Amino acid sequence: MLSLGALAFASPWFLLGLPLLPLLYWLLRVTPPAPARVSFPAVRLLLGLHPQEETPARTPLWLVLLRIAIAALIILALARPLLNPSGLGSGNGPLLLVIDNGWTAARQWNSHVDEAERILAQAERSGRPVYLLTTAAADPGSGDELLEPLPAGQVRSRVSGLQPRPWAVDHVAAVARLASLDRGTQSIWLSDGLEHEGTDALVDRLMDIGGVTIFREEGTDLPRLVVAPESEGLVLRPTVTRAEGGPQEAATLLISGAGGEPIGALEVVFPAGETEAAGELRLPADLRNRISSIALEGESGAAARYLLDEAWRRRSVGIVAPGGSEAPQPLLSEVYYLQRALEPFNDMLRGDVDELLEQEISVVLLPDGSQLDAARLSTLEDWAEAGGMLVRFAGPALAEEADDLVPVQLRGGGRTLGGALTWDTPAQLSPFEDGSPFGGLAVTDEIAVTRQVLAEPTLDLPERTWAKLTDGTPIVTAEPRGEGWLVLFHTSANTEWSNLPLSGLFVEMLRRLVDLSQGVASIEEGGPPLVPLQVMDGFGRLSPALPSVLPIAPEDLVAGRFSPEHPPGLYGEEGASRALNIGDAENEMLPLGPLPARIQEENYRQTAETDLFAWLLLAALLIGLADFVLGLRLRGLGWRPEPASGSGSGAAATTALCLLALPLVALALWPTATKAADEDIVEALRETRFAYVITGVPAVDRMSEAGLTGLSRLLRQRTAIEPGDPQGVRLGRDELAFYPLLYWPISPEQRSLDTAARDALNDYLLYGGTILIDLREQSAAGRGLLGDRSQNGQALRRLTAGIDVPPLSPVPPDHVMTKAFYLLQDFPGRFDGGSLWVESPDRADNDGVASVIIGSNDWASAWAVDEYGIPLAAVVPGGERQREMAFRFGVNLAMYALTGNYKADQVHVPFILERLGQ
Amino acid sequence: MNTAEQLLLQHDSELLAARLPPLLLAAQRVAATVAQGVHGRRRVGQGETFWQFRQYEVGDSPQSIDWRRTAKSEGVYVRQMEWEAAQSVWLWRDSAPSMSWRSDKSLPLKRERAELLLLALSVLLLRAGERVALLGGERRPSGNKEAVSRLAAELLTDARPETDQGPAVGVPPEVLLPRFGQVILIGDFLAPLDEIEARICRFAARGLKGLVIQVLDPAEETLPYEGRVRFFGIAEESDWLVSRVDDVRHAYQERLAAQQAGLLEILQRVGWRTTFHRTDHPAQTALLAAYQALSAEEGLA
Repeated sequence: MLSLGALAFASPWFLLGLPLLPLLYWLLRVTPPAPARVSFPAVRLLLGLHPQEETPARTPLWLVLLRIAIAALIILALARPLLNPSGLGSGNGPLLLVIDNGWTAARQWNSHVDEAERILAQAERSGRPVYLLTTAAADPGSGDELLEPLPAGQVRSRVSGLQPRPWAVDHVAAVARLASLDRGTQSIWLSDGLEHEGTDALVDRLMDIGGVTIFREEGTDLPRLVVAPESEGLVLRPTVTRAEGGPQEAATLLISGAGGEPIGALEVVFPAGETEAAGELRLPADLRNRISSIALEGESGAAARYLLDEAWRRRSVGIVAPGGSEAPQPLLSEVYYLQRALEPFNDMLRGDVDELLEQEISVVLLPDGSQLDAARLSTLEDWAEAGGMLVRFAGPALAEEADDLVPVQLRGGGRTLGGALTWDTPAQLSPFEDGSPFGGLAVTDEIAVTRQVLAEPTLDLPERTWAKLTDGTPIVTAEPRGEGWLVLFHTSANTEWSNLPLSGLFVEMLRRLVDLSQGVASIEEGGPPLVPLQVMDGFGRLSPALPSVLPIAPEDLVAGRFSPEHPPGLYGEEGASRALNIGDAENEMLPLGPLPARIQEENYRQTAETDLFAWLLLAALLIGLADFVLGLRLRGLGWRPEPASGSGSGAAATTALCLLALPLVALALWPTATKAADEDIVEALRETRFAYVITGVPAVDRMSEAGLTGLSRLLRQRTAIEPGDPQGVRLGRDELAFYPLLYWPISPEQRSLDTAARDALNDYLLYGGTILIDLREQSAAGRGLLGDRSQNGQALRRLTAGIDVPPLSPVPPDHVMTKAFYLLQDFPGRFDGGSLWVESPDRADNDGVASVIIGSNDWASAWAVDEYGIPLAAVVPGGERQREMAFRFGVNLAMYALTGNYKADQVHVPFILERLGQ
Repeated sequence: MNTAEQLLLQHDSELLAARLPPLLLAAQRVAATVAQGVHGRRRVGQGETFWQFRQYEVGDSPQSIDWRRTAKSEGVYVRQMEWEAAQSVWLWRDSAPSMSWRSDKSLPLKRERAELLLLALSVLLLRAGERVALLGGERRPSGNKEAVSRLAAELLTDARPETDQGPAVGVPPEVLLPRFGQVILIGDFLAPLDEIEARICRFAARGLKGLVIQVLDPAEETLPYEGRVRFFGIAEESDWLVSRVDDVRHAYQERLAAQQAGLLEILQRVGWRTTFHRTDHPAQTALLAAYQALSAEEGLA
């Protein structure tokens, strides 16, 4: 390796070729260029003419210089010049590459891998054996990688496939694995920049072995971690932490739903010196419930993504309804109104208190009618104190005898407003105050409260009041109980006391209360382990769990203890999964402290060394091309000799441009394909053509083509229709609109139609196309049209599934088909006797012209003729008369397809009458 | 035969000839022919010009008696006309491979120009009632309307390069022509002068009059090449390497001038006319020059 400042040569001995360049110069100068070749009629006059002075013909100087430049470029390229070389990986003896690949390294992972590959490229050039040590544990079950010296190239391929792990690095284990290594090994450590348990020991061990170089992340490049967001009522506070309190720094959090759909973005700012940044997210409840992950924008890694599980969104609401079954008169039942209010938004559960509390429930609605004993009440109280939200509703029972499980002390008896014998009018709600959870909801005048229970006026009554009537008496009061809430509606949940339950406001109020509830941690400690559903890889991508991922104990999950056996991800049951996040654990991120002076420190993302080999060769190639073109030109090839010799270099540049433009020209030629399609269309429209469906069965398709060819030939002979050659169409691929008549032979081998084909056929029928469907089998007289028992009949059913076939009826004797050209009453093909079914002619759409004609007589075979006009198939039972009648049917069919119900008019009635003998 | 090509050639020549009046040859003596023409043969025969009155002799047709002359004097006179005949012209263009050459794509081949001139001249001659034929062709001179298209067809079929057996050297073929005819030769006349002289003298010896049009490419006159060039002949001629074309250009031009002077000298000796033409000049000028050289009308000569 020869180094010249920013430039170095990996194979400097090739530079010895440079002194040979003057020799090349001399050789090129002496050899005359090839003469131009000109054909010339008057050469006889030139014979024997010599220039007066024979100057030696020499290659022009600029051409020599051009060629020397090519040679020089090739020599320089072979010497492998490197721009910005770094000598880290070069040297002697084995090299130890330590790579931190825990979750802390995921943020800058690409630059770590790039650095490793650079080092390994140098080690490869120096031919050093390399030990690779990754400090995070391998996937459980895959076994520890052996620490063994490998050729650098092999290590390189392993490193390029290396991924960060979604768990922490284990420097203690790394020290243990290094125990066997000999002294005299230079080590390079691509660190994540953080201090972990055992980091000091690892540093010491590495220094024991040999020289140490550490690459470390610093400052704002250190890892960041999304931790559990705080939730207060409707406000969600996502939080991000960083390892070092550096300068002020912003980060954007992307909030997305279960399918990855974006819900919102939130910018959070780390104040200078702080390690934590939090933001506030106010979202409507149903939107908030859809949040499934919070991720740092522009970062990949398991730490940059926080998964929100079902506990964050699903709020189950329980209604205490002893007895369980529906009340006989639901409109009087309190449960009915509560259930109708919240059913669209929440899981609703009904039942006894004990039954309810066995479930995961956020809110318990307690209507007045549910008559609980003291034991049940204390159970509910305990539950509320553990974080539940208990919402009670007043009613006659509560008014009669208030128990203790109320937020405010109640007066007995209650109050009646606006009864028949009172002067008062029913009271209305006063607008909600801003501090109340109902703040912002619009109050309407329609709501009238006729009865309520009254609270004893106490000092703290105003702050416990969430809603009140216009006269100031509270209608909703609440009291925090432990972790949870106790809420009382001072009126009933049915319409007996007020019409509030009939209003939309009631729904909104209940939803606010549900949103306010936290959801109760439902995991029982010591419960059964939760099975992994989806786990994150080191880049934070969710994928199905491998068998090596073990079920996790609930308490471990709650504590956020992730490990190689339990990587972060979703555990539990589908629909009720719980998330394990790196941000749930107690993570302390400490930047790597000062290191001993003997250790060389480097930064990631230094200017990369550039190998100029390919670029120099490319330059040589381009100049060589230019030389080639110029050489041609000098010899009079490629260009005409012009009297005024133009600038050669300009012409060469033009040629070079032309060469470069070739791919573009090739691209520009792409649209020829569509042009070909256009030509097909023009071809299809040049003449009237009949089409047949290509079934994919070669024999059937050949017969269809021959049959339509025969029919077309006959039509040209006998009628004014002059059809072109028939065209086979693939349903769903080819445009059908060009063909007035489509012949579709049914064969059991044909594959079922795809959606495109069905759509094409439906369109074709809808816009006036005519299809002749041919079952191609001899039908037994008397059996229904499409005998289910026949193979082709079943194929027909299968193939026409999804096609809008109108109701069919046998051809009536006066149908246009019987007189479109010939007077016919039966329609034989190769077989005789099958009846022909057409769309009922009395249908108004499409002018009564049938779009679907179904028969079974195998007409194509009867029509089929070879190129000499000889029939291809015998008709059954036989006779040329039958074939003639088959042809006549074909003529009538073509007429029918082309003229519709024209022949139904009275034009030919006299002749028809005459022939009918009337 | 390529009909389209023939029609195109014919059309071009008609177009070229359209701007000149019919070309009546200046002919003192006319090739022996029975075809009616405008060239008086100074003896009694069929024609439209009065020649002489002669005393009626037994055997003369009574219809030939000129009654007015007879009434003026004694005796019965017969009116006789001068025998007027058409001149026959044989045209030839060099079809040697060296004619199928051009120095630049924008120029016509020398052969193309020669054919165009040939046909244009025939158009003019035919309009004047003269009779034309291709020298070396199989047909006899004819003066009817189809002559031009036949000529064009003959041109195109005749000498499409059959390189190995076509005439390599640009001299007219040895054909025995009737005396006192007209010959028009179009070619590059770069062949050795003695060969050309031999052939032309043979024609002249039979009393034929003629016109020679030398058609050259401008590159053949200026030798516009530079530097080191290897020149190849078109046919079997050997090649010649010139290390610096600039140095030999002058000498070449002198040789070409000598060739042209020699040609001129030969033709002057036999009393033939000559015009020189370059393919980068319009064909019209060559046609005009040829017209003037051939025309009988003094005003144009």
